[in-house]
Amino acid sequence: MSEKTRIYLQPWPIRIWHWINASGIIILILSGAQIRFPETLSIFSSYKNAIEVHNTAGIIVSISFSFWFFYYKMVKNTLDKLYIPDEEDIKHGLVRQLLYYCFWYFLGRPSPYHATPDHKFNPMQKSAYLAVMFVLMPLVGLTGILLLNVTPLRVLVLMWGGIKFIVALHFLLACSLLAFLCTHVYLATLGDYIKPMLVGWEDVEEHEEPEAAPGVAIPGYRPVRHYPEYEQALLEQRHS
Amino acid sequence: MKPADLQKMSLLAKLAFCAWALAGLIAQANAWGFSYGDQTGSNQACLSCHGKTGEVPKGTFIDPQRFTQTAHANLGCEACHATVPANHPDGNKVPKADCRECHSGISAEYDKGLHASKTACNGCHNPHLVQNPKDVSGQEINMICSNCHNSLEMTAKHGEWLPQSELHLRMLPCITCHTGAKDYYISMYIVKSKGDSRFGKQEVAEYADLKAMAGNRPIVSLIDTNRDNYVSLEELRVFNRTQKSLRLYGMMTPSTVSHKFEILDSRRNCSFCHTSGSGLMQTSFIAVPDEQGNFQRVPVEKGAVLDALYAAPDFYMMGSTKNAKLNNIGLAIICCGLIMPVGHGFVRFLTRKNRKHKEHQS
Repeated sequence: MSEKTRIYLQPWPIRIWHWINASGIIILILSGAQIRFPETLSIFSSYKNAIEVHNTAGIIVSISFSFWFFYYKMVKNTLDKLYIPDEEDIKHGLVRQLLYYCFWYFLGRPSPYHATPDHKFNPMQKSAYLAVMFVLMPLVGLTGILLLNVTPLRVLVLMWGGIKFIVALHFLLACSLLAFLCTHVYLATLGDYIKPMLVGWEDVEEHEEPEAAPGVAIPGYRPVRHYPEYEQALLEQRHS
Repeated sequence: MKPADLQKMSLLAKLAFCAWALAGLIAQANAWGFSYGDQTGSNQACLSCHGKTGEVPKGTFIDPQRFTQTAHANLGCEACHATVPANHPDGNKVPKADCRECHSGISAEYDKGLHASKTACNGCHNPHLVQNPKDVSGQEINMICSNCHNSLEMTAKHGEWLPQSELHLRMLPCITCHTGAKDYYISMYIVKSKGDSRFGKQEVAEYADLKAMAGNRPIVSLIDTNRDNYVSLEELRVFNRTQKSLRLYGMMTPSTVSHKFEILDSRRNCSFCHTSGSGLMQTSFIAVPDEQGNFQRVPVEKGAVLDALYAAPDFYMMGSTKNAKLNNIGLAIICCGLIMPVGHGFVRFLTRKNRKHKEHQS
């Protein structure tokens, strides 16, 4: 027996932020590519246009990033819970999710994780987003701001090792973000991830199951439904 | 007279004849207005007064050390100041040669440019200090321009169309954009932070400061450690790593400078510099100041300026001085990002029936 339920997974501020970010980053990648390889690429006609588009998109993405941080940290107060993997995630969750992507998925087994509004990301997503949102994005933004204001922020530019070092860092971070983007878009096609990011709601098939007794769930591990060891634990508890 | 005396006499006569002939040649050369011989001796007569600040009126002082380094010094004072009146020290003016007499080609070119109606040759060039632009730091060139063009005003004016105009004006000699040069090289010069703080205001390092740092050795050894008059990338790395208060600034400098000053539309197109490609940016020099106030130009390893981190950490021209190794690392990173979608997608395609079957079962 199963019935469909709807979860409000992505609130509207996050959806707006996500799509501003997505379009901004794509524009940044295209204009950035023209700025670095002007002899081969001419996407935004003139070089000056490419620079102006890149600067504007960079400022928009930086503001939207600050907005994202403010929303999760101050308004919702769920930033740490959503993005920092807990002990269980590190001990078992990561391996389990990796096994799912590498083997179980191909065998047709369902994901060991199911998203809830407070725990939207599986352990692998958490770790990846932690690196992206707390390391890559802030660093690419900061180096971008430095490059945009080389003269007024001269002392900071020197502290960071000179303009060439900052350019190199900005470029390599951007390449890493592009690499992440490829994986991010691909993984979104593995499940129903795109629809919630558009409308906010996710349709979930609820399987009718006996309610789990308190204390049975392995601490820190929430998506219990398809986790074979959990079912085993449940059975053992019932028999005892 | 003994035959030996005769022989001696004839030798003396020979020497006398040679001396007379040589003097005649020099005199002849002076009569033409040209002499590429050593005129240091004959210049001394003039410099004995004009080389001392207290002896002559302000404005007629000539720095002997710097003057002797110029090409004009080799011609001798009289080449330009042909006849010195006998009562000259009493305040009588000495005639001056017109620059056109020698530089007619440059003069014709100059007359077609924007500056022609504004100033003559001596508006920019002090004939007693003329130097080849290749042998001075880019900032020295701009100091000549800033005698008339207020730098703040120029920054604002360029800022109307040029992004980061302050940075551009600081890192480029004006002549790079305002003369029609075809080829460029990177001219680097040493800047020193004020108060030896790494982050202090940076100014072109003066000879005395650098000499104090170099100690007994010549200044160039601060960079050219093996003193082969050639700076390798490794020497640049060591310099950037070890010298805390010194840094290298680079400027894109024209290799041949025309004298037709103009506003070139091609230079308003950013791609002129930013896509000129790494080929042009591979030749670079370091201008090291010397005791006479000139700069000694030391060639740098080809392509060193393109090195991502170490060659000149403060010199970067977007699109032009990108490092090929970094491009490859970036490409490798992007390829790593594609492994997951391509690899996983392929297996996903192969096992699609498997999943459909399971879904059907559930």
